[in-house]
Amino acid sequence: MSLAISTTDLEKSYGDVQALDGLSLSVERGEFFGLLGPNGAGKTTFINVLVGLVRKSGGEASVFGHDVEDEYREARDRIGLAPQEFNVDRFFPIREVLMHKAGYHDISTTEARERADEALHTVGIYDKRETRFDWLSGGMKRRFMLARALVSDPDLLILDEPTAGVDVELRRDLWEIITELNDDGTTILLTTHYIEEAERLCDEVAIMDSGRKVTVASPDELMARGNDTIRLQLREPPARVPAIDNERVESVDLDDDHLVATASQGGEVAPDLIRQLDRHGHTVVDIDISRTSLEEVFVELTRRDEGDESNETDGTDRADETESPGASI
Amino acid sequence: MSVVSTGLRALVHREILRFVRRPRNTFLPPLITNVLYFSVFGVILGARVGSIEGVDYILYILPGLIVLGVIANAFENASFSIFHGRWNEYIHEVQTSPLSYTEMVGAYVSASALRGVIIGVLIALVGAIMIPLTIGTGVGLANPIYALAFVLVIAVLFAGFGVMGGLWARDFDYLTVLNQFIIRPLVFFGAVFYPLDALPPIWRTVSLVNPMVYMVDGVRYGFLGIASIEPNVSLAVLAGGAAAVVAIDVWLFQRGYGLTE
Repeated sequence: MSLAISTTDLEKSYGDVQALDGLSLSVERGEFFGLLGPNGAGKTTFINVLVGLVRKSGGEASVFGHDVEDEYREARDRIGLAPQEFNVDRFFPIREVLMHKAGYHDISTTEARERADEALHTVGIYDKRETRFDWLSGGMKRRFMLARALVSDPDLLILDEPTAGVDVELRRDLWEIITELNDDGTTILLTTHYIEEAERLCDEVAIMDSGRKVTVASPDELMARGNDTIRLQLREPPARVPAIDNERVESVDLDDDHLVATASQGGEVAPDLIRQLDRHGHTVVDIDISRTSLEEVFVELTRRDEGDESNETDGTDRADETESPGASI
Repeated sequence: MSVVSTGLRALVHREILRFVRRPRNTFLPPLITNVLYFSVFGVILGARVGSIEGVDYILYILPGLIVLGVIANAFENASFSIFHGRWNEYIHEVQTSPLSYTEMVGAYVSASALRGVIIGVLIALVGAIMIPLTIGTGVGLANPIYALAFVLVIAVLFAGFGVMGGLWARDFDYLTVLNQFIIRPLVFFGAVFYPLDALPPIWRTVSLVNPMVYMVDGVRYGFLGIASIEPNVSLAVLAGGAAAVVAIDVWLFQRGYGLTE
């Protein structure tokens, strides 16, 4: 079994609210997988089904081939979870909290102590080992959440918005730690609101909306779906917009002496634009290509079908298929 | 190889440490309460009451006070630990672990039952000090095996009820309601401070549906050797009840009652 996570037609409803609506996702072993989606898209619900905090209403979910309900012990033993909320045992110093957590994973007391120290060293808060969680600073709390997820040496590390509200330095520290873990073979499932995070870290990204999968692709593939902006400065401002014949070009406008074209994969289109303009007698003196951002693609994908409520989906295709109104990130 | 897994031991260890490290919240209150009970009911009132069934009053109430302490603390430990964990969501550390549901319940119940038993022993020690000072004779154990067996079964039974209470509670008021309006009345009408014969016939009959009566009677048999009800029957019924309650606890954990969305 090469899949770390596999879900098929996963459903979760809260009364009339459909939090997961036929979600089918596959995450390969060793992959760095990102989950993007607006608030309420179902990302945390999806994670909570995997770890046993939410009972699914329908469908199948497995972790490393173990059904999350029928073989919950095997599935949970492979997972390390760093949730959004600070749900930490307040009765004990953080080192003991880690030792307890390791113990629940059948790790002996001696080894649990070593693991706890190692995890605290990894996230850089070993000096605070005898401190209770409540007394840690906000950044240290976030670091501790990662340490707790690591203490059982999981094969699948699930990080639910691990860098929410942290400063730039800590964010980069956390990125470095989880990148190294991934390089060492740990599968990582990351949810985030920071598009840059997904773009920088993830091998593959699933965009979710309204409990459904909108699309799954690599960040580069996603960006290729967006339109780049090509600004061509012409020696003489043309009287009207020159005729451009290229199927990748979505629009052409004039902005004083600049011709502004939008096109998918602008870098490949630009030489043809220059040739066509040259044939029309225009000389290009400068060129600037603004690449589309993942953020723009995200907004586009989660708004594309706004108002198109008839767009049915079974959630299994990799095609664009959303009916999200007013996505926000 | 141990039948008790490392994971189960880790959770039991955590649960025990939680109450051992907070003696001012866990051990001191019942100690003070029972010194007061013995002082007021045993020493002051006891002198006027005299003896019941040939036993000095202060000695007569000892088994009931032990039961009261065991029940209250076993119940409170399990219900508080689970509810507090739910309230602050750190019970997720246990829920998302590979412990089986049976192990989770086993850990909460056994640690809570242990606290109940420790409190029971402490109350017995308070009695062992205060009773000779009052009546000049020591506290004996007529049937020590029964005393121990009853205390253990009662502790497990109420630790099991505590798990239910901890899962059911939606806020801290629920725990107060359980303790003040259900447990305490059952205890006080459970023949702790009086013999059933002291009641009018109608109330004596009503009292027989109160499970506390059988518990107090059983522990009294263990300490004093006197019983209104056949102790083996009481013990069997209580043991059956404890097993049923723990089985329901496991089922509730499996269902995710109060734990999962």
